[in-house]
Formats: sequence, structure tokens, C-alpha cells
Amino acid sequence: MINFAWLRSIFTMELRQIITYRADFWVNFVGNASITFILAYFLWAGIFEANQAESMNGFTMKDIILYYLIVPQLMRIQQGSGIGNISREIYDGGLTKYLLYPVNYYVHKIIVYFAHTTFYILQLFLIIFLYWTFTGEEGVLQFSALQFFLFLLSLYFIALLYFSMSSISEFIAFWADNIWSLGVIIRFVVSFLGGALIPLTFFPQWAQAILYKTPFPYLITFPFDVLTKPLIIEKYFENLIIITFWTAIFMTMSYFVWNKGKYKYSGVGI
Amino acid sequence: MRYLKLYLHFLSFSFSKAFEFRVDFYFRIVMDCFFYLVQFLFFNIIYLHTPILADWSIEQMQIFIASYIFIDALHMTVFANNCWWLPIYINRGDLDYYLTKPVSSLFFLSFREFAANSFVNLLIATSLLGYILYQYPGDLGVIKVCVFILLLLIGTVLYFLVHLIFLLAVFWTQSPRGFGDVFFSISHTMERPDKLFKGIVRLIFVYILPFSLMASYPARYLLEDNGFQFIATIITMTIVFYFIVLSIWKVGLRNYSSASS
Repeated sequence: MINFAWLRSIFTMELRQIITYRADFWVNFVGNASITFILAYFLWAGIFEANQAESMNGFTMKDIILYYLIVPQLMRIQQGSGIGNISREIYDGGLTKYLLYPVNYYVHKIIVYFAHTTFYILQLFLIIFLYWTFTGEEGVLQFSALQFFLFLLSLYFIALLYFSMSSISEFIAFWADNIWSLGVIIRFVVSFLGGALIPLTFFPQWAQAILYKTPFPYLITFPFDVLTKPLIIEKYFENLIIITFWTAIFMTMSYFVWNKGKYKYSGVGI
Repeated sequence: MRYLKLYLHFLSFSFSKAFEFRVDFYFRIVMDCFFYLVQFLFFNIIYLHTPILADWSIEQMQIFIASYIFIDALHMTVFANNCWWLPIYINRGDLDYYLTKPVSSLFFLSFREFAANSFVNLLIATSLLGYILYQYPGDLGVIKVCVFILLLLIGTVLYFLVHLIFLLAVFWTQSPRGFGDVFFSISHTMERPDKLFKGIVRLIFVYILPFSLMASYPARYLLEDNGFQFIATIITMTIVFYFIVLSIWKVGLRNYSSASS
């Protein structure tokens, strides 16, 4: 039987740790969000101006603004506790305590990961609130309560998918001395092929057809569409099933690597 | 001379350290190659939808991309590891060890680790830059290319100085990373041509957070006529930022308590 009190304690303790450095938090949050937005705004303003166009590939300038306000935060939401959340414990021997404690290591790590995800979701709410405040009726973001709930649900699904992908690279730390760069490679691939740098509709048709056979568009384009486009329930659950399918594949691979790797673990640390 | 000898010791130590962690050595090379690839693909996709951006054709934009890739590679090789450790030393109170050395502590902390693995990427980035310059359809001129490369080197120093300003905030914030994450976000400004920015934002990115100078101005010097203003601006701003960093370092050391946080 699952002990929920234990899970709640881990979750709240992690949340408390995240907000320990408040000045850092606000500066990083405001700095990251505003700079990503400014860069995207001027780049796309330049592109729209060069083309003398009102709309390009289904995006008006207003849609683009919304896209680059929300998508960078979706990246943070799915990346949870970030690179090194597991590998660091393998390097420094901190993993030992989890092997001794009567807790499931995977569940523990997922709860910690979700604490970060939740925190970034709260930041996203703030961004949406500010967007509404500044744009009013001029804005293009309209959604129902159901749509918002399904959007919220999709965020935890994409976080779990990203966790399952990145955990494989984290467990490589059982063999490799430092896997930080491997985590960054995954980040590059997801952000580019998922549409965080350029919306996928701007990719050539053949590339889009290939990409939708990979998990990447479901990590970024899918949740953005849930929030901003008319909701089609069947399509939504179809996408959720695809995410679950990919999560199961990566989780199985991750579990396999973990099972092999834990026998390599010395507990000494580097 | 004393500092040069010291730096050669840093180099030899860094190379032996890099070969101790071989897997990381190769992963980092692959990681940077991915970064380079993504940069070119990003602009190639954009140029599928527009013939010109910031007054540059795709060939001119490729020179610009190669320029900031070169700056990034050089920074990663010479400065990045040191920038990673600096706020940690300050936060943990480990700075004392470096303050007692009979050399400039800022020099020691800025240069002590040379990223040997990134050095391979620097070679790749340099080759890429050379190839793109060679392939460029117009006539660039040898002297202009030499000055352009010199400006990229100065741009790298400026990039490092701005990075330091964000990190030295740790003297006051007591957090383990300073404003390193914000720097990482803002540094992407360097990856956009300066002509994209308008109004006050442009002024900020040229004179206050001068990321628009680092790669754009060298590229504009190379591709446009009347390039003296680009040389003058980038050199002046680098000197100004050097003195700003020195001042912050001195004030920060007065604020340094030696206790860990």
C-alpha cells in the first residue's frame, strides 16, 4: 500500500528547498522569461516585416508572442529538477541511503521531479495572468475550465515522459564519469525537434511527418495546442496515449539500465 | 612572463585532468557539435520563409552564426569551467585559498582551468568559420578577415567580462550560482543580429549588456563598408567592462566573509 504521507513530505520538503533562495528565484524567473520573449519578439518581428505578412504558417504576430511566452516555460516544466538530479548521487555516493531506506527510488525521484514541475507550473500561471492583464481583449488566449484542467494534466504527463528519457542518461553515470553533456544533448534535441525554438509548422512538411512519429512534438507542441486551440477530446486522449506509450518505452529502458548499473555502484563516490 | 608560465602549468594540468574523464571528454564534443548543428538548422528553417533577415542573406547570416559559435567555443575552452567554479568558491568560503596566492586572485580564478575537451570543439568551430569565409561568394579581403578575427577575440573577452559581472553578484546574494542562469538566458542575445533590435532594447544590448557587440559587430565590420565605428565601439566597451569587473571584484572582496552559505 502506498504511504501518501511519506510522498507528501518529500514533495513539500523539495518545494521548500526550491524557494530557499528567493532573490535568485525572482531574478532568474523574470530574467529568463523576459529575455526569451524579447529575443523571439524581435526575431519574428524582423521575419514578418521582411515578408510584409500578417500571418505565416498559421501564426499571426500575436500568436507568436503567446507561443514564446508559454513554450519556454513548458520546457522548464518538463525538465523538472534538471540535469544531475540522479547522476550526482551516483557520483558522490549519496545513492547509498536510498538503497538502504525502505523506499522506492524511482517513486522518490519522480515525486522530487514533480515538485519542481509544480513550481514551474505556478510560474506559468503567473505568466498567463500577466499576459491577460496586459493584453485584455487584445490577446488571443481563451480557454474553458475543462481545457485548462486537461492542459494541467498534460503537463504532468510530459514531465513524466521527459523524466523517463533523461533518467536513462542519468543512469549512464554508473559507467561514465560525467554525464552532464548527455543531458544537455537531450535538451537540445527536445527543444529543437519539439518546436521550442521554431514552431513545428515552419518546418518542411516532410520533416513534420517524420517528427510526429517521434515523442518530441508531444513534449511541447501538444500541451501548447491544448491550451490555445479548440479542444478535440478524442484527439487529446489519443495524444495522451501516445505520450504514455513513449513513457512506457523509455521507463522500461531506464529500468533496464538501472538494474544493470546498480551492480556497478560502489557507494564510495568520486 | 610569470603569468604566462603559470598559465602553461594550468594548461598541462587541465589536459591530464580531461583525459582522466574520457567519456565526458567525448560527450562534450558531441554536445557542442549538436549545438552547432542546431544553430545552422534554426536559421536555415527561418530562411525557408524569408529571403532576407536583418539585411543579411543566408550566406552573410552563416558568417554571423560561425562567428558566435567561435566565440562560444573559445569561451567554453578558456573561461567557462572557471566561471562555473567561481561563484561556488565564493559561496562556500573557499576563496581564502586563492586570496593568499602571490598572484592576482582574479587572474588565477579566471584562467586556472582550461577545458581541454572544449578545445577540440574550438578547432571544429575555427574550421567551420574558415570554411564559411572561404565559401562566401563575395570578396572579403585578407586584412579585413584578420581584423574580423581579432574583433572576435575581443568579443570573447567582452563576453567573459559580462559573464563575470553576473557571477560576482554571489558576493551579495549568497546563493550558489549568482545570476548565472540569467546570464545564460541573456547570452542568447549574442546569437541574434544586432539590427533585429530596435529602440531602447537595441541601446541596452549595445551599451549596457553589450551582447549585440560580440559577434554582430565583427560580422558587420566584415560585411559592410565604413567599419571603423564597429572597431571603436567594441574596443571601448571591452575596456569599460574590464574596469567595471575590477571594481566589482574589489568591492565584492570587501563584502566577502569567508563563511560558507
